[in-house]
Amino acid sequence: MSEPLMLPTIVPLGDRALLVRFGTNLGERANRAAVAFARRLDDAAPEGIEEIDPNLVSVLLRYDPDRTDPARLAGELRLMLSLAEEEPETPGRTHAIAVHFGGEDGPDLDTAAEALGMSPSQFVAAHNAAPLRVLTTGFAPGFVYCGFHPKTLNLPRRTDVRGRVPAGTVLFAAGQTAITATPIPTGWHVIGRTDFINFVPDQSPPTILAEGDLIAFSEAGR
Amino acid sequence: MSGGITVLRAGPLATIQDAGRFGMLRYGIAASGPMVRSAFAVAGTLLGGRAGAAIEFTRTGLDFRAEGEVEAAFSGGAFNLSVNGEARDWNSALQLAAGDLVRVAPGVWGNYGYVRFGREIAVPLLLGSRATNSTVGLGGFGGRALVTGDRVPFGDAPEQGGAEGGGSAAPSDAPVRVVWGLHADLFPGAMRQLFVDKPFEISTRLDRMGVRLARGETFPQAGILSLVSDAVVPGDIQILGDGTPIVLMRDHQPTGGYPRIATVISADLDRFAQMRPGSLVRFEPVTLTHALAAGRAAR
Repeated sequence: MSEPLMLPTIVPLGDRALLVRFGTNLGERANRAAVAFARRLDDAAPEGIEEIDPNLVSVLLRYDPDRTDPARLAGELRLMLSLAEEEPETPGRTHAIAVHFGGEDGPDLDTAAEALGMSPSQFVAAHNAAPLRVLTTGFAPGFVYCGFHPKTLNLPRRTDVRGRVPAGTVLFAAGQTAITATPIPTGWHVIGRTDFINFVPDQSPPTILAEGDLIAFSEAGR
Repeated sequence: MSGGITVLRAGPLATIQDAGRFGMLRYGIAASGPMVRSAFAVAGTLLGGRAGAAIEFTRTGLDFRAEGEVEAAFSGGAFNLSVNGEARDWNSALQLAAGDLVRVAPGVWGNYGYVRFGREIAVPLLLGSRATNSTVGLGGFGGRALVTGDRVPFGDAPEQGGAEGGGSAAPSDAPVRVVWGLHADLFPGAMRQLFVDKPFEISTRLDRMGVRLARGETFPQAGILSLVSDAVVPGDIQILGDGTPIVLMRDHQPTGGYPRIATVISADLDRFAQMRPGSLVRFEPVTLTHALAAGRAAR
């Protein structure tokens, strides 16, 4: 929570969307600010907004150019931002997620643990020690980013990309744990698998986890 | 209530598309929808606004047999249309009888064409839309492209939607207009100049996710940039690590971590989508005000 929060900037993304950015680097304060701002927009969106999409450190707003224009919308957003105090985020729900760590489910667990100077069981214990916050979903259907681990669990991504990993794969890199909900290629370390799939396409909304929710990871029984 | 069509020949990536699955970006789902929105709208207007979802087909066309009486309207790039071997006008609506054989053959320009019907295509609504997102295997015909032998069933007549507008995505030598992108300021001025000075070639690697561009000499690398992933919109031009630009299209990944130098304006994205491999494209930066005015003019 210590990194400085930059003044939010409003950047056009083509001629039908604006991006409100709370940072250019991934940090907890910027993420919390983006999540909080998206929630305020969900409650009271300015005229002409068609879609609100919170990201890791930004919020995308798609607008209808027949109902508003970017200059007017940016003005309304600036007003909302200036009136906002950095309020504590409303705590989200807590979800318990059991993970089958290592083995065939997590082929990179041993190397990730070793790179951090831990045994595999020490790594799992450290990984599960504290609940993680859902930073955002996106990137792929139901794909969820959770953070942040303490610095002692910070490991860069792998240098090569694995072909598709299945839904429910638990990924680890850059101080975060991510969970896939559809098969995707990945450059993150594959540390485990969960039966929890954060994507139910015939339900609306199609995801279960939301930004700001907490996840308590545990080791699934064998 | 019965009726439908049987696909006799489907080129690659013929998919069912409606206007799109909007509002799902936060869950990780791009809107999809027609690659050439204006052509999809023209087909709807040809049916007096009473048009269902479309079958979007690619350059090689589509052959099908009508299994009952139905009105059909065709639009998109230039294709050659015939019914039972008899040539018909492209960009037209016509009445089909049970057993009619419709052949849509490749024409002189364009990558995408549309057929819409006076009946709704009876595939389930998924998250409010019938659009296929073939990248993630979602919606439309079981999330996949149509193949020979598929029977696409019809449901009720669609509701009167009113005219959907049109506009043309006809080919022209005019540059494709862009507004500078999210990361334009990270590119040195000389590189931005190079981006607009020389044309790129549309490569053969194009699909509903994106269109890769090529150039005799490669566009210089943007350097190693470590960017936090941000939302992506159709038309965003991202530069890969090896310097290859990709224009992201309707089935784009919802977020991207590569630097984006520019975004194709809404008014020009349809025309860009219809550019065939081997054709040259030049990008012309315009102001957001210009882009908005061009968008209004195109609607």
